[in-house]
Amino acid sequence: MISAPYLEVAVLVLGTVILLIESFFSKFDRRYLGYAALVGLALIFLATFFIAPQSTMSSAPFWNFYSADATSLFFKRIALATTAGVIVMMFDFAALVSSGVQGATPQSGLGEFFALPLFTCAGLMWMASAIDFVLIFVSLELVTISFYVLVGFTRRNPASLEAAVKYLVLSAVATGFLVYGITWIFGATGETNLQKIATVLSGTGLEQNAALFGGVLVIIALGFKIAAVPFHIWVADVYQGAPTPVTAYLSVGSKAAGFIVLLRVLDPFLILPQMQTLLVAIAVLTLIYGNLAALPQTNVKRLLAYSSIAHAGYLLVAVVSFSGRAVAFYLVAYLLMTLLSFAVLILVSQPAGDQLESFAGLSQRSPFLAFAMLVAMASLAGVPFTAGFLGKFLVFDAAIATHHFGLVVVAIVTVGAGFYYYFKVVRAIYWDAPPASTDKIIVSPLTRVALIALIAGTFVLGVYPQPIFDALAR
Amino acid sequence: MLPWLILLAPLVSAALIALITGRARRLSASISVVAVLVSFICSCIVFAKSEIAGTEIPWIEFQGILRVPIGFVLDSLSRTMLVLVSGVGALIHIYSPGYMRDDPGKSRYFAALSLFMFSMLGIVLANNFVMMFIFWELVGLCSYLLIGHWFERDSAADAANKAFITNRIGDFGFMLGILMVWAATGSVIFDDIIPQTWRITSNPTFLTICVLLIFCGAVGKSAQFPLHVWLPDAMEGPTPISALIHAATMVAAGVYMLVRVGFLVQASPVALGVIAWIGTVTAVMAALIATQQDDIKRILAYSTLSQLGYMIMAVGLASDEAAMFHLFTHAFFKALLFLGAGSVLVALHHEQNIWKMGGQGRNLFLTFVTFGIGMLALIGCPPFAGFFSKDAILSLAYNRNPAIFGVALFTAFLTAFYMMRLFVVVFFGKPRSPAAKTSRESPTSMLVPLAVLALLSLFGGFHFFASHFLTLPHEREAAAFIPGIALVAMLLGAAGAIILYRRRIEDPLSINLLRHKFYFDELYRVLINATQGFLARVSGFIDRWIIDATIVRGSSGATWSFGALLRLMQVGNLQAYAFIFGLGIIWIIYFVLFR
Amino acid sequence: MTTLGDYLTVSGILFAVGFSGVLLRRNVIIIFMALELMLNAANLSLVAFSRFRLGEDGLPSYNAQVLVFFIITVAAAEVAVGLAIIVALYRARRTTHVEDINSLKF
Repeated sequence: MISAPYLEVAVLVLGTVILLIESFFSKFDRRYLGYAALVGLALIFLATFFIAPQSTMSSAPFWNFYSADATSLFFKRIALATTAGVIVMMFDFAALVSSGVQGATPQSGLGEFFALPLFTCAGLMWMASAIDFVLIFVSLELVTISFYVLVGFTRRNPASLEAAVKYLVLSAVATGFLVYGITWIFGATGETNLQKIATVLSGTGLEQNAALFGGVLVIIALGFKIAAVPFHIWVADVYQGAPTPVTAYLSVGSKAAGFIVLLRVLDPFLILPQMQTLLVAIAVLTLIYGNLAALPQTNVKRLLAYSSIAHAGYLLVAVVSFSGRAVAFYLVAYLLMTLLSFAVLILVSQPAGDQLESFAGLSQRSPFLAFAMLVAMASLAGVPFTAGFLGKFLVFDAAIATHHFGLVVVAIVTVGAGFYYYFKVVRAIYWDAPPASTDKIIVSPLTRVALIALIAGTFVLGVYPQPIFDALAR
Repeated sequence: MLPWLILLAPLVSAALIALITGRARRLSASISVVAVLVSFICSCIVFAKSEIAGTEIPWIEFQGILRVPIGFVLDSLSRTMLVLVSGVGALIHIYSPGYMRDDPGKSRYFAALSLFMFSMLGIVLANNFVMMFIFWELVGLCSYLLIGHWFERDSAADAANKAFITNRIGDFGFMLGILMVWAATGSVIFDDIIPQTWRITSNPTFLTICVLLIFCGAVGKSAQFPLHVWLPDAMEGPTPISALIHAATMVAAGVYMLVRVGFLVQASPVALGVIAWIGTVTAVMAALIATQQDDIKRILAYSTLSQLGYMIMAVGLASDEAAMFHLFTHAFFKALLFLGAGSVLVALHHEQNIWKMGGQGRNLFLTFVTFGIGMLALIGCPPFAGFFSKDAILSLAYNRNPAIFGVALFTAFLTAFYMMRLFVVVFFGKPRSPAAKTSRESPTSMLVPLAVLALLSLFGGFHFFASHFLTLPHEREAAAFIPGIALVAMLLGAAGAIILYRRRIEDPLSINLLRHKFYFDELYRVLINATQGFLARVSGFIDRWIIDATIVRGSSGATWSFGALLRLMQVGNLQAYAFIFGLGIIWIIYFVLFR
Repeated sequence: MTTLGDYLTVSGILFAVGFSGVLLRRNVIIIFMALELMLNAANLSLVAFSRFRLGEDGLPSYNAQVLVFFIITVAAAEVAVGLAIIVALYRARRTTHVEDINSLKF
């Protein structure tokens, strides 16, 4: 039996070791570092199944900051799985990292490229466990700062740098609002621990408006992380400019951790009725914006960015309906299909770019990738017997159970719009004529295994979701 | 554990063949045969040990709305069906390698066969409607694959399509019925529905509609009038498939399903009446058509239709026991007849016209004997199996509904007539084609199943044998003279056929109406063409002028341009973004604090 | 005697100045400084809240003050990474003006 905090420590140690090896040894294939990271993550993932249950008797001050309940373990696993998936994508992306740097060896910069996601991963795992604003702030910043570096990693590529600067400034603004919000919550309640804040808030004789003001600012900052309208504005540009594996990481890892923190922070504040209306309004805006703005897109990476906004909308519907189960399942489904689509995108866009035209006739160039993209798009759109469908079903089910009928109507209408733009990609793959140079796309065995696992996961969870529910209800 | 093994062994085999051993055709066949034997042995153990209870594991759970487990029901009904399905299935698996000896698609054949066993056993084991429906559809899919096995032949591909589409029509009704039951009782699990049955039965109209919709599923799968048209065409598939799917198992699924939901069916007298008459009409219609067919497999197919009509008739007369009894005996002798026909076909290089056979009694002696036993069982000659079960249904009809009894008796006469015609023309007289002169007996692997099935057809109906498997019906005592009348009808029919067809080289009778199967196919074609043409024109008009012009173009244009407008928000300037961010914050603070 | 309200007013003004700096200044480096101002506004009010809300034992709540140290540390890390990115941007584009970095849009 392992104590839960050792998981993050293990991830950090793994990252540090990889970084040190990278710095002090020069003559070896940097990809071994990536394999080491993968193996390490897999071992840590296994270790999450042998966590000693957090004893409620333990009164060590540490546990005022850190929780090791089933939900946080579940989100730690999501973080680990996402990171592993991203590292697999990085292998395929590696060729682009050092291109554009004069006199660079093919492998320069790769070591950090494999180490940085591990630090991000540790931050995501801490976010999953954070129950005190101090730890929430620190872990959130750990994630954000390592993302600054990752987004701007291909630093000879102006688009990547531009994305990094935009992300840097806007994210720092969000951080400013986050700490200012925390300040006001602390001012109103005198506490930073979420449970104690909840106790104070439910009591009487309290500066309710001050607490609400702080709470709103914190939610705004988290809304930035999960890309909820009107704080989504950075998403499309940053997603488009960032290296594609990092985009995938941003849209899955950062979002998942944002949602677990949002769920925990909202818990004390949902006593206040205005919060409920606010979230419904944000959810409606997010759904409409994400789905409609995606319609005219022809850049697949940008299309996936808008689609990620749209999916934040569905997740918010689940949040409004208090269904942690729906949020968790939807996030897992979202993880599978998003990683799948970005992995295919990396392979397809290497020679030809992110435009929709590079997908034309993919079914003839690589039937396997075409099928993988078909599954990803079908699941994102919500075709039955895929994980995406069941996720949406659970969300709508929860919304109906809590009588948010208007929200369900909006959500279903926007699903219709979603079908349109997802199947635009499918149409390009299967019906459009391929370009003149129809080179076969080579898929490395590691990527192939990862893609097959993601496809299988999408279908298995689409018909048999029970394992997820079991993991949540431990 | 054992029920899982029964169900999953064929699935594993199908997966193995499809994924790994596709090239090694002999190995594929062995895997498939071993898998079905495993299923059969496990079924026997489950049958013998009544203490093995049904199990279930959770599958889909939406609290309060829908709970669908993967669950097995193990009562006397499903135990019997398990042994029957896996037993007959095993014999046909053993028979298949011989029949398919030179077929290049052998692996595909065995993969589909194993998948079929999986689906069929799934229907038998399912303890809820949803699971049953999924396996029901899977069976339909496998039947599509197997009928279309020789897909390079147009007729086979057409037949596969026809079977699939016709079944889908029935399945649609079945699905609506399931939804109605679910809506009324809030559950799809049989055991949970039974205590809630009063919710449905308290409203007779609802009950009738519900039962009739569920019956639609059986009409499709068990090929009852008016959806019977697919079954004779399904004979395009390899003969073992005809024996397995279209005689012993798949078509019996409809009857099994009706018996399984007997608690609902029997509660509605109106629906029972409809079911009984549909069965009766199917029985007599198919028998009439069979008297004028020339293709050996088609004759057998129509006889299957006719016998299924008997079973549905029994269900409609509210005797599940009689229906199951006939299903039980019919499985043996119909599989026997088809396999026998297959043996003849192999010997004659797939010549199916009975007028090009003749005199096979000498060349194929063992086939001749076993086929004869099957024929006698089918026409209800004592002491063969069919005599007892058919007699039970006739007695039942006599007690409950004399009109149906009259028709059923006439059908019995026709059955004897057309079967004897087939028998006389194929096995007696002189060989009428070069192939028929030089035919040779089939390999042992094909003859062993024939012998086993012949034994079962001989003993299957006796009380000492059948009572182990079934609750036998007790209508016999009510009318002691029924067997006598049935025997007379049977003898008349047989004698008539012998007199008419002895030493003939072509059919002395030619009734166009029957030869063309009451013009059902033509009628349907005209109907479909007319309605399709009309609907196509109407929907074309709606499509072009209403949907396309106004709704689609209009609304898609509107959303598209709105989306394009939203896109323009992304001007690319960092400070504009920060400004929008700030506006959002002001809006939210106003929204929460000052409103 | 300065009250809690005075400190909060000053902190609010600092925050507003910081945010308007982000909105109005053209140079990314200045924008970055304005961002630091926003964080320091939060620090100021955190310390003020901590000092003026004494617990039952008459001691301030040190949670907030610890958080202030964390914020300072994190801000330093952010600056380190942020400046590096801005330098790289300057090398690539020869500019640090925000109007010039808008190739990604729509």
